[in-house]
Amino acid sequence: MIRGIDVGLATCHGCELVVRMRDVGDHAATACPRCDASVRFRKRNARTHVIALLVAALALYFPANALTIMYTEQFPERRADTILSGVRYLWARGSWGLAMIVFAASIVVPVLKLGALGFLVVSTTRHSAWRPRARTRLYRSLEVIGHWSMLDVFVVALLTAVVQLGQFARVKPGPAVLPFAGVVILTMLASASFDARAIWDRGMRE
Amino acid sequence: VPAAELVLCSYCDTVHRRIEPAGREIMRCVVCDSPVYRGDGDLGAMLAVTVTAAIAFLVANALPLLTLSSGSHQTRATLWHAIAASYDRELPFVAIALTLTLIVAPAIELGLLLWLLVPLCLRTLPLGFTSTMGLLRTLRPWRMVGVFFLGVIVAVVKLAALATAVPGWGMFGVAVLALALASLSSFDLGTLWRRAGEVAP
Repeated sequence: MIRGIDVGLATCHGCELVVRMRDVGDHAATACPRCDASVRFRKRNARTHVIALLVAALALYFPANALTIMYTEQFPERRADTILSGVRYLWARGSWGLAMIVFAASIVVPVLKLGALGFLVVSTTRHSAWRPRARTRLYRSLEVIGHWSMLDVFVVALLTAVVQLGQFARVKPGPAVLPFAGVVILTMLASASFDARAIWDRGMRE
Repeated sequence: VPAAELVLCSYCDTVHRRIEPAGREIMRCVVCDSPVYRGDGDLGAMLAVTVTAAIAFLVANALPLLTLSSGSHQTRATLWHAIAASYDRELPFVAIALTLTLIVAPAIELGLLLWLLVPLCLRTLPLGFTSTMGLLRTLRPWRMVGVFFLGVIVAVVKLAALATAVPGWGMFGVAVLALALASLSSFDLGTLWRRAGEVAP
């Protein structure tokens, strides 16, 4: 199979036009004739960006899970929930389906994203030829599930906002909300920075 | 072969020759099985979905998402009331996050789409076509209305412990908006570029 980089063709990231590149080589850039964006064969410094974003996300991951995400107060009862205890609360109330959805979105997806992106970066750095199709599929699934982790942030924001309207209870966001939103945004940026073509640059089977 | 007839797989860089599928079928890469492109959709249909989304957006903003009752006390919570209340109670982050994801982002996206689609359907080139397309492409991955809808459902269940919460018409608007936006992302933006190429002098 012919690849774009071998015949001097690249896709513009701005408008998806296939551009005939004027120079060859890894760092060649040509202005897109349609939208004037700078067209390259590969995303620039992709690996460095992904690693930096992953490290930042990992650093925020711990406060995001250990700290309180939501305070609830309805006289005489007070609760301080972390993400995990929020899931347990839903489960204990009998909302098993929702508990599982929140567990998947808030706990499984962020871990999966950090782990899978780390694995993709390591395997492409080592020019691994191991199952490139499966690794590409793994990357595509990360793109799809990425933003669903925002679920808990919305729940806290909504509950807080709605409860302000009534006089029956008080709900306040906890210190974990910002780090948690940070993890989700940083991992979304990290998966957008990864260049899946790196999987195939060395792993091509003829 | 002219470059315009070629497509590169964005996941593995394999060169494909573009063939027009019958409908809006998804064409997959022979090497890595990723979706490469899909058949051109009808711009009129895309405009219709955008208008539907715009109406749903107004409904989601204007009508109550929830009606809360606790004892004799009853509150209808529209999105705007909830945002204003959290701003007044010194929770600016909550207010800003909700405003950006639920009001500003969908309003910009729908506005840009209308700005592009109405002239293109009338076969003229919209003003600032290139930069508008760029903005639309940048915003697409950050769309969160679907996640918000699931968030409302979880919030209702959690609220049930504090008060009786009944979903209102605003929530129906959010659901339709999420569906319409999902259906819009199944249209290839390349379709707009090709139509613009046809109508440009």
